[in-house]
Amino acid sequence: QGTIHPFRKTHRSFFGKLSQEFRLVTSDRQSWRILVFSMLNVFCTGCLLMWCSSTNSMALTAYTYLTIFDLFSRVFSVIFVCLIAHVCVCVFSTRFKRLEVLAVFASTVLVQLGALFILKESVERFVEQPEVHTGRLLVGTFVALFFNLLTLLSVKNKPFVYVSEAASTSWLQEHVADLSRSLCGIIPGLSSVLLPRMNPFVLINVAGALSLSITYMLIEINNYNAVDTASAVAIGLMIFGTMYPMSVYSGKVLLQTTPSHVIGQLDKLLREVSTLEGVLEVRNEHFWTVGFGSLAGSVHVRIRRDANEQMVLAHVTNRLFTLVSTLTVQIFKDDWIRPSLMAEALPASTLRPSDYGGLSSFVPPPPKPSEDINRLTSTPFKPSSPPPEFSFNTPGRHVHPVVLPNTQPQRPYGMGLSYGASPYTSMLNQDLARPGMGIGIGMNLGMGAAPQRFGRHPF
Amino acid sequence: MDDKYSSNVLSSGQLGMVEVPNARLTRYIVLLLVSKVLKALGIFESYDLLKVVHIVQFIFILKLGCAVILVFFQKPFSSGKAISKRQWIKLLKHSVISCIISLLGFFGLTLCGPLRTLLLFEHSDVVVIALLSVLFTSSGGGPSKTRGAALFIIAVICLLLFDNDDLMAKMAEHPEGHHDSALTHALYTAIAFLGVADHKGGVVLLVVSLCLKIGFHTASRKLSVEIGGAKRLYALDNLVSCIVLLPWVIVLSATTESKVESWSALILPFGMIIFSVMILEFYVESICIAKMEAPRCARYGSIFLFLSGLLLANFWTHPLTEQLRTMSKTPQQESTETEHVLSGGVLVSAIFFIMADSILSSPSKKGQKGTLVGYSPEGTPLYNFMGDALQHTSQSLPRFIKDSLKQILEEYDSRQIFYFLCLNLAFTFVELFYGVWTNSLGLISDGFHMLFDCSALVLGLFAALMTRWKATRIYSYGYGRVEILSGFINGLFLMVIAFFVFVESVTRLVDPPNINTDMLTPVSVGGLLVNLVGICAFSHAHSHGAAKSNCSSHDHGHSHGHGHSEHGHSHGGHGHGGNGHGQSSHGHSHGSSHGHSHGGGMNANMRGVFLHVLADTLGSVGVIISTILIRQFGWLIADPICSLFISTLIFLSVIPLLTDAAEVLLLRTPPEHEKDLNIALEKIEKVEGVLSYRDPHFWRHSASVIAGTIHLQLMSDVVEQRIIQQVTAILKDAGVNNLSVQVEKEAYFQHMSGLTTGFHDVLAMTQQMESMNYLKDGTCIM
Repeated sequence: QGTIHPFRKTHRSFFGKLSQEFRLVTSDRQSWRILVFSMLNVFCTGCLLMWCSSTNSMALTAYTYLTIFDLFSRVFSVIFVCLIAHVCVCVFSTRFKRLEVLAVFASTVLVQLGALFILKESVERFVEQPEVHTGRLLVGTFVALFFNLLTLLSVKNKPFVYVSEAASTSWLQEHVADLSRSLCGIIPGLSSVLLPRMNPFVLINVAGALSLSITYMLIEINNYNAVDTASAVAIGLMIFGTMYPMSVYSGKVLLQTTPSHVIGQLDKLLREVSTLEGVLEVRNEHFWTVGFGSLAGSVHVRIRRDANEQMVLAHVTNRLFTLVSTLTVQIFKDDWIRPSLMAEALPASTLRPSDYGGLSSFVPPPPKPSEDINRLTSTPFKPSSPPPEFSFNTPGRHVHPVVLPNTQPQRPYGMGLSYGASPYTSMLNQDLARPGMGIGIGMNLGMGAAPQRFGRHPF
Repeated sequence: MDDKYSSNVLSSGQLGMVEVPNARLTRYIVLLLVSKVLKALGIFESYDLLKVVHIVQFIFILKLGCAVILVFFQKPFSSGKAISKRQWIKLLKHSVISCIISLLGFFGLTLCGPLRTLLLFEHSDVVVIALLSVLFTSSGGGPSKTRGAALFIIAVICLLLFDNDDLMAKMAEHPEGHHDSALTHALYTAIAFLGVADHKGGVVLLVVSLCLKIGFHTASRKLSVEIGGAKRLYALDNLVSCIVLLPWVIVLSATTESKVESWSALILPFGMIIFSVMILEFYVESICIAKMEAPRCARYGSIFLFLSGLLLANFWTHPLTEQLRTMSKTPQQESTETEHVLSGGVLVSAIFFIMADSILSSPSKKGQKGTLVGYSPEGTPLYNFMGDALQHTSQSLPRFIKDSLKQILEEYDSRQIFYFLCLNLAFTFVELFYGVWTNSLGLISDGFHMLFDCSALVLGLFAALMTRWKATRIYSYGYGRVEILSGFINGLFLMVIAFFVFVESVTRLVDPPNINTDMLTPVSVGGLLVNLVGICAFSHAHSHGAAKSNCSSHDHGHSHGHGHSEHGHSHGGHGHGGNGHGQSSHGHSHGSSHGHSHGGGMNANMRGVFLHVLADTLGSVGVIISTILIRQFGWLIADPICSLFISTLIFLSVIPLLTDAAEVLLLRTPPEHEKDLNIALEKIEKVEGVLSYRDPHFWRHSASVIAGTIHLQLMSDVVEQRIIQQVTAILKDAGVNNLSVQVEKEAYFQHMSGLTTGFHDVLAMTQQMESMNYLKDGTCIM
């Protein structure tokens, strides 16, 4: 079967499944380590939550959410390890790359929602500020900081590392970079330490701990309880600032968008494709990222009636393959039903007349003249215009007796760009010159059949 | 992070602004220092004087003295061109406004004390304009400016919150008799109406008047050009404003008896204030701006001013200065001698203000942001600076609101959400206002909770709007998926809410608090009513939407029923089933999620919003039930148990939504089409000429789009386009309406192996070919 079943239902009991998973997890050393750290994390989070309620401090609660976030990412990575370890064999693996993206998105959004909750609570606290006990505040801060840094630095969480590197910088990172740049102006020796991009998680942990210590100091010295709320707001905003770029990045992957950093390259490739021999236009181009980093896409290429489909397909695939790993190219021709085209690549005798009879049920009636008049407007081939709703199942719409001389200059990508064409035609000719391939372009036949149609033949 | 890599063009050494070395400017800096110290002294002196002299009289004397000196020095009437009547009128307006601003400023001085006034009011135009541009425009000028603005705001907040100046609080309790004029009385009542302490009101007043001052300075630039120079304008302005103030002063001195015993003793301090605050500062500032750049002048000036203010605040109450001042003192002030002392908050905020001013007034390091045009032959990037000014055509706000409202009201879903959002917001604000009115904390907190909930509605509304945006280059399938993502986020939101309710109720289970039930019932009944309206609207919307989609699938089944009759019928039956479920969800809350899950990611956004409203309703029902239980039986534990129950209910009802949305987001084959697709794939294999297929991917992109890609291997003697037609038709029957078919023959693999030079690719290709040969086993001659 060709379909994919990522969530195939198993009829085992939940606990049985759980124990099996557990055994699987413990068998691997890496996942065993992750599991130990998760346990530590759960323990630490429990302690922190207890201390939060005993100190009645909002800022510590906000800081605890960072620990919970760590727990999330840890748990998700455990799930990956055990899933990829044994399910991957039978199931298509790109879905699991996608699951990684979903996990990153979910955990960043969850922690942002937690920060939103913190902000709401803080607004309520500004109205009436309760007393904050500082007894466990500093202890909690340092325990949380220690555990967070330990888990961050000892367990490599691959998807999170990728996202934190690929996403745009958060405002916290920008400010730290700006500050450290001006610091490096004073002490140039620090440039190797400070100038590279900071890890956002480490940064937010340290910044949060710093604001908590300031809170502790101010409450101890002056009994300013409002500082607690203020630093809770600050930590909440920092969480937003750090997580927002990551959730935007992973959300864009989930929305099946073309990643903006490859658009330039893609445009260049598509331009090259549209200058290939026989290609009339490229449209319905959709490109998206499946997991982190792997691009997939589908493209419809309209070609001339006398062009060889398989060769164009091979060349288009060859061009795009460098960038898009999972590619589907649909080649289509206008007016392919006409007999003049049959002389193209195959001997005409292979098609029996009964075939045409069978085909006629699938082909809509020939176009009305009114459609011919507004053909220009009805064909959307600009990249910015919305993709047409499956326009090629009605090929008759685009049929026109004098199509080719008209559409040749209308290539969306090919205008005034000659650099792609000249090396390619030579390559094509080389390819054509190879003997024994069984490809012949029936140019003579095509020309003879409709010479007025192919007035501007590039060959 | 090097400059080379950012879009920062002008910051490299050769291109940047050339700074004059400090050594050449030492004279001016020293001059600035002296003038600022004197100004700080003058402000402190005037604070003391203002206790004796009425504020209007004080300003009048200042303006008068200033005008006399300036008229003598500047000779505004004898020199320069004559002033027309229209310019006089403008001058009159100008001076009235300047009077108002200085009134506000000095009133703030009486409220806050001299140091705080210096910190808040004496910022130069450059600093405030930089601050405002960071706050209100998108191009603030890099992270450093943002930091400066944040420091400024933090400093103001420090003054507001952490400056618990006991002495000021004592001063705030002063008897009403202190207000000896209508004006000050009006201002006092205004501040008292705001409900803040006096000094906090003073801080707010000073910030407002600072903004006014900057706006006034900027606006008066044109007038100063018209009149002929800033100095002439200043002189004339002082003259006119003391004429404006004259009648008021006469009335005042006629009606109230003065507290001043001897005006002659005040001549010296007044002269000092006039000299230092009004004249010397003005001249020195204008000289320094001419000789140094304005930003540097502002930086040094503010640092000197704040530092001298801090020093003076430390020593002003010192016995030494007290002795010095006794000659200008009347004995009645001795009681309130030590007010407005230094506190920690003031110190911190002074440090922050100094830092903020030095950051904000530093010339913007970040060069103009240009758009990259291309690369020069040498390889250096070329930028275009023109676009930035042209791009920012800001839409007018009312027009924007009108447009978006029109868009919202166009479609059923967004209209429904919008109306409910309005209702919810109205209820929230009524609750909040009533809570503030009656000073009930429970109501206020419930109001904030409702606001928190409204954010989910706003998210849903925004997603419903975005769904209709046109497809762009980046969003090549259109924005339909946003709806599903928003449904997913709403589901997560509900999970978070359920989690918090759960934690809260567990802690309450251990220690059930005493709840005051008086206020709860009306609020929860009101919330219940609002949410019931929402449930009616959304469940109708939902079943409508589901019915619509099901109807479409039904029609679809019929339209293809000619060819495959049993298939069409099954489709119709499926649609009916879904419809029935949707109807059943109407009344009962729990069954709804099941009914919706049949849709399979169909309009996840509306489902999320609906579940949210449902959760709120459950919450109000729970509150009502627990209130009744507590009132009737005194079971305090009923409340946490209720909330436990509710949180698990929310959690359980969210899970189907989350899994559905996650499946769509993971590009899973839509489960409701899975059977059809399998049948269709079998059919495709049976199509004449098709050898095999590979990589069939089908996924639901959005509610209306099911996309798919498939690769087919054909025999080499078949017409590709015909196969594409057939396959497309077959898959369209199965529900796929955005399809790409790649048709491969053996020639394709030969071409590919010829084109790709990589060894591995060739290997993969040959394997493909072998499998093909194996599959067709003899049907093809090749």
